[in-house]
Amino acid sequence: MKNENLSKNLYLRQFNESNAIAYSKAFVSNASNYNFQLLDNAYRNAGKIYANLKIAVETNKCQSEHCSVELLQLKQLEEAPQISLNFLSSLMAELSVTDEPNFDLNNDYRYTVASSLMSGKPGYSKTDGYNAYLDLLPDGSQQIVFTGPAFYMPLIVNSSALSSLAISNSSLIASTPDINSEMLRLLTEINVFAADAVDQEGGLKPGAKITEEYVMMNTDGSVDYEIIDLGNGKGRNVFKYDIDKIEKKVTPFINAEVAGLMSSEQDAVAAWNVYISKGTSVEENAQMVQNANAGSSSWSYEEDLPLQQDKKVLFETKYKEYFMNNYLKQFITNQIPTVKEDAAVFDLAEAKKAKAQKFLKDNNLN
Amino acid sequence: MAGIVTASIIGGVGSIVGGLFASGSAKKAKRAAEREKSRLKAKLSNLEANRQEIINPYEGVQDLSSMISNPFANLSVATGAAEIKIEQADISLANTLDTIRQTGGGAGGATALAQAALQSKKGVSASIEAQEKANEDKKARGQQFMEQRAVAEAERLQTADVKGEAFVYGEREKREQQQLDRTASLIGMAETVRAQSQADQTSATLGMIGGITDSLSGIASGGGFGG
Repeated sequence: MKNENLSKNLYLRQFNESNAIAYSKAFVSNASNYNFQLLDNAYRNAGKIYANLKIAVETNKCQSEHCSVELLQLKQLEEAPQISLNFLSSLMAELSVTDEPNFDLNNDYRYTVASSLMSGKPGYSKTDGYNAYLDLLPDGSQQIVFTGPAFYMPLIVNSSALSSLAISNSSLIASTPDINSEMLRLLTEINVFAADAVDQEGGLKPGAKITEEYVMMNTDGSVDYEIIDLGNGKGRNVFKYDIDKIEKKVTPFINAEVAGLMSSEQDAVAAWNVYISKGTSVEENAQMVQNANAGSSSWSYEEDLPLQQDKKVLFETKYKEYFMNNYLKQFITNQIPTVKEDAAVFDLAEAKKAKAQKFLKDNNLN
Repeated sequence: MAGIVTASIIGGVGSIVGGLFASGSAKKAKRAAEREKSRLKAKLSNLEANRQEIINPYEGVQDLSSMISNPFANLSVATGAAEIKIEQADISLANTLDTIRQTGGGAGGATALAQAALQSKKGVSASIEAQEKANEDKKARGQQFMEQRAVAEAERLQTADVKGEAFVYGEREKREQQQLDRTASLIGMAETVRAQSQADQTSATLGMIGGITDSLSGIASGGGFGG
């Protein structure tokens, strides 16, 4: 099912985003009928039913004892319009997730179709074989049914079920967390940058550097620079960082971030499928035609929830890797010294020789 | 155009469709705010649960008073020299006695010799007494010094205890205040968003109710809906 979701969602996304429909002669030459009239159809006979029930109660011609059934049905009909409005607005809120740019394609593809239908996208009209109708059910709940070529069987969503999901903080469709924002904020929370490196909006200022507490030092207290080759016999110093120390500092914050994400496991699965599993950055995702997806290593909403402990541990490990590689790495790579003299370009051969001499001296090897 | 299409899909009048969209967006924002709140709360709980213990930096301060001792407590009297002096005096007296005997000296010489021996030993005894007195003085001064140091050490320990407790209390207070501030701030922010979303949703619903009254007027006129 998950591979089917992936391939079908991908197809639907490409179909919806491309202009191909404009070149379909069949589409262009026919009127598209979007006249689903969900409310009108749902309440078409409601007036008559309501009137009959009302008359039965008022004339004491009920079929049930004390008119209990008739009174219940009347109450349900009176409440029905408000339920319809709540239901449809909730459903539209849920379905709109499928239009988010980082939507996880492993979600049930039928919701993408339903969303396309509800928002009147080309290709999902009655003319194209689709239909949708709202039913008022005897128990007072309502259901919406979607049918059409993309559905192997009708997609049915019940109002009562949808309300219950909302109460339990769950969604029909997982929304992928904004990993980029989370990681940028995390950068400012891990306490490896100086306090004045954070701007008023809570982001890192341009040119922010990791504090010297994490810079590798020589035994004599001087900075242990790494020399990089600039070419043409020239080189320059860059900071070397104590990665173990940084990692030790960062880990509790990452664990806390993951714990936060795990408060909604379906969000965590979406983050895994879209970003974490393959370690692709937000920028890379934006460039990918298929958008990011974990492919064969993706987790299934149907099969993998609730998440087992091994998956949670794996998520934490990969989340940390993701953060270190895509966000922190830039601050520990090729960082030019803050001291002007140390930042100057120099002759590479001489510098290497001096460094070797220093090593020999420091270790009494002369 | 999109609005017309959507109106066809939903049915009813335009205000219902517009209201549904507005209400849907508000619901989505409300859900997002609620989720963000849950997420941040879980994150905060994890951070709080896994914080490092507040360490009392003075906890390792040890009572060093046992190391204080009186170096003058057991000074020995230098009796060696006195003994040598006595031996020398005895040898000298013995030699003198031999000489007196050989020269036929009388009892008066022997008496004088015995007095000389007594005087010599009295001198030695006085010297030992003087040493013992000096040692007693030193011991007393040492004892006084030791007591002063012991009091100073006890004061140092007490100060360390108080400083340690003050540090731990201060740090805990600071952390708890930070946690409270952060939690309150988070709840406040999420609540603001949630409340705004709720207001948006209510506003949208009110708009829809007007619409649905029009839309379903046919039903109502047939005797339906709350009549």
